[in-house]
Amino acid sequence: MMEDVLSIERLSKRFPPNIVALADANISVRKGEVHCLLGANGAGKSTFLKLIAGALSPSGGEMRVDGRKVSFRAPAEAATAGISMIYQELDLVPQLTVAENLFLGHPPQRFGFLDKRTRRNRAKEALARVGATFSPEDRVGSLSIANQQLTAIARSLTRDAKVIIMDEPSAALNETELKAVFRVIRELTAQGVAILYVSHRLGELREIGDRVTVLRGGQTIETFDVAGTPDSALVEAILGRNRTLVERRPRPPVTGDVVLKVDRLTAAQGLDIRDFELRRGEISGLTGLNGSGRTSFLKALFGAEVSEAKMSLNGRPYRPKAPRDAIRAGLGLVPENRKTEGLILDAPIYRNATLPAMQGNFLARHGELKAKTVPVLRQLSTKYGAPEQKVIQLSGGNQQKVVLAKWIIKGASLLLLDEPSRGLDIGAKADLYRLVEELAANGAAVIVASSELEELYAACDTIWVFHEGRNIARFDPATTDQDTILKHQILGEHHHD
Amino acid sequence: MTDTVTGAPPMQRSGRRLIDLAIEYNFIFIFLVVVAIAAILSPNFMTPTNIANLFQQAAVVGVVAIGMTFVILTGNIDLSVGSVVALCGMLVAVLLAGGMPILPAIAITILTGAAAGATIGLITALAEVPSFIVSLAGLVSFRGVTYLLTDGVPVSGLPPSFGAISSTMIPLFPGAQISSMGLIFIVLCIAAGALLRFTVFGESVYATGGNAEAARLSGLPTKRILVLVFTVSGIMSALGGILLTSRLRIGQPTAAQGLELDAIAAVVLGGTSLFGGRGGVLGTFFAVMLLQVLRNIFNLLGLGSFYQMTVTGLIIVAAILLNRFIDIRRGRA
Repeated sequence: MMEDVLSIERLSKRFPPNIVALADANISVRKGEVHCLLGANGAGKSTFLKLIAGALSPSGGEMRVDGRKVSFRAPAEAATAGISMIYQELDLVPQLTVAENLFLGHPPQRFGFLDKRTRRNRAKEALARVGATFSPEDRVGSLSIANQQLTAIARSLTRDAKVIIMDEPSAALNETELKAVFRVIRELTAQGVAILYVSHRLGELREIGDRVTVLRGGQTIETFDVAGTPDSALVEAILGRNRTLVERRPRPPVTGDVVLKVDRLTAAQGLDIRDFELRRGEISGLTGLNGSGRTSFLKALFGAEVSEAKMSLNGRPYRPKAPRDAIRAGLGLVPENRKTEGLILDAPIYRNATLPAMQGNFLARHGELKAKTVPVLRQLSTKYGAPEQKVIQLSGGNQQKVVLAKWIIKGASLLLLDEPSRGLDIGAKADLYRLVEELAANGAAVIVASSELEELYAACDTIWVFHEGRNIARFDPATTDQDTILKHQILGEHHHD
Repeated sequence: MTDTVTGAPPMQRSGRRLIDLAIEYNFIFIFLVVVAIAAILSPNFMTPTNIANLFQQAAVVGVVAIGMTFVILTGNIDLSVGSVVALCGMLVAVLLAGGMPILPAIAITILTGAAAGATIGLITALAEVPSFIVSLAGLVSFRGVTYLLTDGVPVSGLPPSFGAISSTMIPLFPGAQISSMGLIFIVLCIAAGALLRFTVFGESVYATGGNAEAARLSGLPTKRILVLVFTVSGIMSALGGILLTSRLRIGQPTAAQGLELDAIAAVVLGGTSLFGGRGGVLGTFFAVMLLQVLRNIFNLLGLGSFYQMTVTGLIIVAAILLNRFIDIRRGRA
């Protein structure tokens, strides 16, 4: 009973030139256990899973399945070896039936022809094992997310999976649906299948997990028995004991008037924000795990996502139906993904930078547009050749400055920055936050959403913790240490300074 | 050799900039090469009469291709233009034959073309349906309406002064003249180029095609822009229909079949990206003329249309491959 079905030693993955996504990962998954994998954003979980599932090839280390050494060059090889991955965004084809999905890539054949009868029968067997109440002939697209999840699990069974990896299955499920999935997991483990279960939520882990391995900074830290380990020990393993504490720069006290007041804002996927306030000159940080609703909140404020809201801007009711309305009201959004949402990569720098500012005019006077762009780029110490240069030729940090320049040129007084430092090196990050502080000092109000708490901690006047679509806690970083904030992030406890 | 501009010492910069420009405007070079070959192959090619003919013959496709350039710059396509040309060509003929004065007849026709384009744009933008299928429906329906106007019978008996719109010869300088139709094409090219280059609307067209989401998040009215580019395409098709009927002196319901493909070929050959955001009217102008020169040279050499079609297709493929190759070299692929 206690034999290892999957054992991994010293697994690592480097991306040239010098990014180490996974430094040293060790794990042993026993037959019939639910083994949880826990780690903060950027701990290396996705890389680790992709290596196990054959979607990436390792730079070093050893993997054994049932004691035999394996190295996968493609996901199909991992599947053949008995390792099956269920991605968070289920990779099912919605237009096909359940049976067709179950045997996608390995359909039963007879004399080279598709054997539909065998497929139907084997699909029924697999569905029975996961306790499905729907038919193999149903279209996957017509099923609920929970039933799609069961379909994905059943598909692993048709491959005779020994280890099923589930990447945050709970993200899209409600309580009842999750219970159903847990019941199936227990039945499967009783039959000897091992589950590698990834989740941010300690509550789930308590309910379903046998053992848990914690990943931090690209290394597996320790494996615990779930039953005998208190939350505090797990949180400590996730956060690390000797964390380098970031120096907070002194911030002037926030004395400006309230600019934005959100009584309540609700939107899709359970976003429900209450009593959010922002003052002139204030830098407010939003922290939280992936999917905690930071991005949706900013997009809803900017009118880029549909929401129901009761809020006011500078004392007047504020109800943006489109980004245009928000921009007219003085907002500016630096979106999460500058390449797909922030910039027109093939267009010159100055055209990108003046795009919001030129709206409403008839003529595009290129000389004037360049003259508006150049001083702002200089103020942001942007490195570039000429304003006519295409933004695609700039480095990430300088591209981000062009996005920021759009709103400075437009004269936005409420800036929404979504993961503004993503992909920037340390120097560029420091630059960015220096600029944000300058903008705030000149009277702008700023909301920064980031998964890097250190950054927010160093630069913000207020830090909000978002958890599953709600703003559950507010801290003053001047009087709170980072670990307290991180614990709230993971455990979802309420707090208001 | 153009992929490391930023790291180059200043001495090489201007040279590289020249190469960059040459690559950006490669269609002009291709055009000049084809013209040179044509001039060598046939002594009749470089005569003033033949050149004037080139512009006259290119005008209808050319005017339609200008509108198509706007649509393709936003990453969309308008397959209805051939049918709109026929519809508007017939409509103006019917109105004139019914005794309406020329100016109101033209005005009504242009409004009809604008409405046809705006309808396709509205459905595309508001229902978020691919323009390919919406305009394909337009291609079929507008042709049907064209036949319904006269039950498929051509309309003749148009006032002679209407023919003057297309065929008045205008002297450019001693020994060279151009038909009014060719001149209208050139003037519209310049106007469209200026609209794209010097107005916020033009900037918005490029921005929407380059990255619709970034454009929306920058506060651009992206849906309105889509409706407008299809309206421009409809207006240009109406003008194409008016010029065609004026030149033929007859309203012909079967006219302009497959014209949409000639227009699309010209726009793409002129370097406008089917994905949107890159290109312009200058390229479309040269591509329209290039295709016309090809047709012309085959006629002068006495080779039939079968050769023309074959070689035209090959040239389009060669030009597209060249642009693709350039893109890959620049690391944009």
